[in-house]
Amino acid sequence: MKNIKKIALDGVVTSNPVLKLVLGTCPTLALTTLAMNGIGMGLAVTFVLICSNVLVSLLRKVIPSQVRIPAFILIIATFVTILRLLLDKLLPDLYASLGLYLPLIVVNCIILARAEGFASKNPILYSALDGLFMGIGFTFALTLMGAFRELLGAGAIFGVILWDFKIEFFSSSAGAFFTFGLFIAVFSLMESLIAKKKKINDYAKLCKLKESASVEEINAKLKGDK
Amino acid sequence: MLNNNLLKYSSSPHIKAPHGTKWIMLNVCIALLPACIMGVIYFGLYALLLLALSVLSAVLAEVIFLLCIGKKFNEIIKSFDFTSCVTGLLMGMTLGTNYPWYSPIFGSFFAIIVVKMLFGGTGKNLVNPAIAGRIFIFISFQSVVAEWVTPTLFTTGEITTGATALVNLLENGLLSISNFNLFFGIGVAGCIGETCKIALLVGAIYLAILKIIDIRYPLIYVAVTGLFTVCLNGFNFEYFLPSILSGGLIIGAFFMATDYVTTPNTKLGNYIYFILLGLITAGLRQATKMEVISFAIMLMNLVIPLLDKFIIPKPFGYKKQREVK
Repeated sequence: MKNIKKIALDGVVTSNPVLKLVLGTCPTLALTTLAMNGIGMGLAVTFVLICSNVLVSLLRKVIPSQVRIPAFILIIATFVTILRLLLDKLLPDLYASLGLYLPLIVVNCIILARAEGFASKNPILYSALDGLFMGIGFTFALTLMGAFRELLGAGAIFGVILWDFKIEFFSSSAGAFFTFGLFIAVFSLMESLIAKKKKINDYAKLCKLKESASVEEINAKLKGDK
Repeated sequence: MLNNNLLKYSSSPHIKAPHGTKWIMLNVCIALLPACIMGVIYFGLYALLLLALSVLSAVLAEVIFLLCIGKKFNEIIKSFDFTSCVTGLLMGMTLGTNYPWYSPIFGSFFAIIVVKMLFGGTGKNLVNPAIAGRIFIFISFQSVVAEWVTPTLFTTGEITTGATALVNLLENGLLSISNFNLFFGIGVAGCIGETCKIALLVGAIYLAILKIIDIRYPLIYVAVTGLFTVCLNGFNFEYFLPSILSGGLIIGAFFMATDYVTTPNTKLGNYIYFILLGLITAGLRQATKMEVISFAIMLMNLVIPLLDKFIIPKPFGYKKQREVK
């Protein structure tokens, strides 16, 4: 149970593939002009991630380590092909808007990194969960970035036009890099604030104070102890 | 006993320069004033509003950023140099009077906070903030940028919007407007600050006399741009003056490209920088059929670290000695 919690936290927050590991930047930068694209791409990657992780994990004792990378790519390519055919038939609009980036999932470094770094060393259930939560982290980041850029660049959100005011900079590729940097910065800032809070809480526990004790109270207590 | 406050420690060189950044930037502001005044006379009070908003929001952006990173308000006032004023003024001068009133605010905030302060503040920015702000506005509010207002002063025509003289020159060949009118900006469509060339040149000469800018470099830039345009148009020397006098070459060359922060450190580097700048400006103009001064300067700004890396002045005492700027 603890493992599962750790996998979930890893996938979405502590090693979020986009905002923390900075993997898969190509679809991140190119596709986040619209929030809907972010969701579509995120779900597509999640599907491939789960399937490839399960298969890699199943075959992890069969694949010789010298040829593991081509084998992983073969597995991933299989699922991407399945996905492409499915999307082409079921959701032609999404298929058209994702365009070139759908076949490029084959060489998406998130999927390869998880196959190499996680699935080839762990049992099936954990691998599937890792794929799921990594996919959720990816989708979350892409959707958020897409919504931000769509709101400022097109004055709309999920295709619903809110106002006429547009800053087209955010729709351009320069705006993509800017937004990406901004999101990484804000994400790191939030993470460091949470870590600081946790540290203070730990100190409070150590000094046998209430968990909500402030830094001043802890300092006063420490001085009193001395 | 010596009072500790009397002892000051600083690294070499121990030379006291008479003028600091504040003095220089204030003088650049003064040098830009004639062009601003002419712009307001030509384009009306709305131009003044754009300029004022641009400068005020640039200063405000700097103050807000410094407050956010925990500086005291008194310190900010004390250490305020006029760089953000110059940035705001230059950016405002490159706008046209058909721009929405909020565009300079967005441009200033982008220029100061993203381009200047996030890279470490005055003197550490990679590209010229005023140009980055202008490009930000250019990209963000594309729908209005294609058209420019023609001032009506000294002419009988109505206020019209249309392509600038430079775009006409590039697309349709030689202009119907005389070089004299181009020089004084009479009936020429364009942005607030670039229209009246004579006012800009007065400012440039003022700066050159005070030795704030080295007048040779912008002249190289202007000459190379003109000559390369002539070359690209089949050695027709009638293109020389119009290509210099139309568009934003004068303001770009004398006030933007000569920014201390975004020029190479060595003399040779400067020559290479300004010659390349001229070639890129003329070439890009011909290829895109629009005004590209800001893009050319931004592009070359990114090359400066390379120029500084590979052109290293020989230290004093070496046989072959190159002068440091």
